Amino acid sequence: MATVTNWIDHLSAKEVAGAVYPGAGSTETLLVIIGIVLWIGWHVITSVSEDEELSKLARKRHGANDHKSNITEW
Amino acid sequence: MTDQLSALTTIFTEFYYWITVVLMFLIHVGFCMYEVGASRYKHHQHTLMKNTMLIPLVTITWFFFGWWIYWAFPTGPGLAPSIMNESAALITDESTFSAKWYLPNSNLMAINLGDHISGVFWAAFLLFSWTAASIVSGAVIERITTFAFGILAIAIGSVFWTIDAAWGWHFDGWMLKLLGYHDAYASGVIHAIAGGFALGILMVLGPRIGKFSSSGEPRNIGPRNPWLVTVGLFLIYTGFWGFYAACNIPIFNLGPEYGMEGVTYWTATNIYVTPTTLSGITMNFLMSLSGGLLVGYVIAKGDPFWTYSSGLAGIICASAGNDLYHPIQAMIIGGIGVAIAYKLHYWVERTFKIDDAVGAVAVHGYAGFAGLIICGFVLNGYPSSGYSVGAMWDGSTYASINPLGQFIGALIMFFVLGLIPGWIIAKVLHGMGKLRIPREVEIAGLDYNMLEASRNDEKAVSSSTR
Repeated sequence: MATVTNWIDHLSAKEVAGAVYPGAGSTETLLVIIGIVLWIGWHVITSVSEDEELSKLARKRHGANDHKSNITEW
Repeated sequence: MTDQLSALTTIFTEFYYWITVVLMFLIHVGFCMYEVGASRYKHHQHTLMKNTMLIPLVTITWFFFGWWIYWAFPTGPGLAPSIMNESAALITDESTFSAKWYLPNSNLMAINLGDHISGVFWAAFLLFSWTAASIVSGAVIERITTFAFGILAIAIGSVFWTIDAAWGWHFDGWMLKLLGYHDAYASGVIHAIAGGFALGILMVLGPRIGKFSSSGEPRNIGPRNPWLVTVGLFLIYTGFWGFYAACNIPIFNLGPEYGMEGVTYWTATNIYVTPTTLSGITMNFLMSLSGGLLVGYVIAKGDPFWTYSSGLAGIICASAGNDLYHPIQAMIIGGIGVAIAYKLHYWVERTFKIDDAVGAVAVHGYAGFAGLIICGFVLNGYPSSGYSVGAMWDGSTYASINPLGQFIGALIMFFVLGLIPGWIIAKVLHGMGKLRIPREVEIAGLDYNMLEASRNDEKAVSSSTR
């Protein structure tokens, strides 16, 4: 996975390769796909949990000032 | 980098943009404080988290596609040919500033020893994206779902503002060529579009419960913590220094860039690669801030919330031309922008029952819109670019700055890329039942369960200390 194993060799090459991250030149597209899956997945998970939380709270039908009884002491 | 001078220039530019990013981070800190201060106690924590989560959402989508859009779309596509490859297609070829290099799987979108600028430039633009999304965030507090806001933040932060930046905030943008569009510090490309986008959402989202009486009279739901609002706005001012600096290119040799044989002319430039000075824009920044504050104090009768917001609106209104204005022009324009924004805010609120909780549409949208038009008159005849000077609608050359071009540009920013997309996406989310929180939750408070859990924790701790 290491793209660079010897800095002296790397920097003294005729053309210095700029990309030095692990897996340079072979893994970028895979990383992008993984990133997009994680991103979409986050929306799905948080949307479901937010819907649940909101509907649970809505069912309780609290009044506009009820939250004041929950204010903790400093 | 093999010679010391080019190394110094490059590393200076890299560090310059890095500093702007750090400063602009304060804009977001300010927006978070401001929104929490403006919201009611029972909504505080959700309000904060909604705004905070736009940071990762806009950042990753900016990496996936937002940055690519900026470099791909300057030609429209199909509206005016690029000066790089003379094609009006999307710029995805092999040319130097092609979007090809900014695909998320490009090796320039990472640590690359051969490129010291792309990453910090990407980040500077990203911080503009956060700002655009954060402007929208304030207007919709206390009733939008976090899911819906996340989608809308991505839309404005990683899609629509970057399209407008490609069109009107890029040295190769078609709006410069066809219209003579000029918007040096983003009156339109950030503020008018974000204000328009917010208004489009508000038209669908509706007001907070209790905002309007049964007869339609608006009621004031003022900020619950004016001091947090105050500190938040001061931080936004502070971050705006970084915003202004990030809109410049710090050091550039315009002689060879413009093709002038034997001419060497090193200078700072704006985003359009036309000359200005960091020194001069600093004066204009402060004078437009002052113009906004002076008029805001008078018009709002000393109300701190509006006076502070007016300082911001003053800067925003003068921003389009602050690379060239005289400081007193900047001051006057800042003041005019505030008067327009303040009056329009209340007129729109009364007439259309729009509940813009923090005045974001006014401060950013109306002031930005007005600033573009004023710029068209004050800078009428200046070249919109240094590469060539031509006539409006020609397309292959750059039109001069003019009132009509700026007016059309303002319409594109506020309505075409702002209000209309905001309204459509909000309509779709509303249709899915995902836009607004249930009425019962809005009355109880988004934080009800969190507050209840805190109280139970407190009880448990108290009982163990008896």
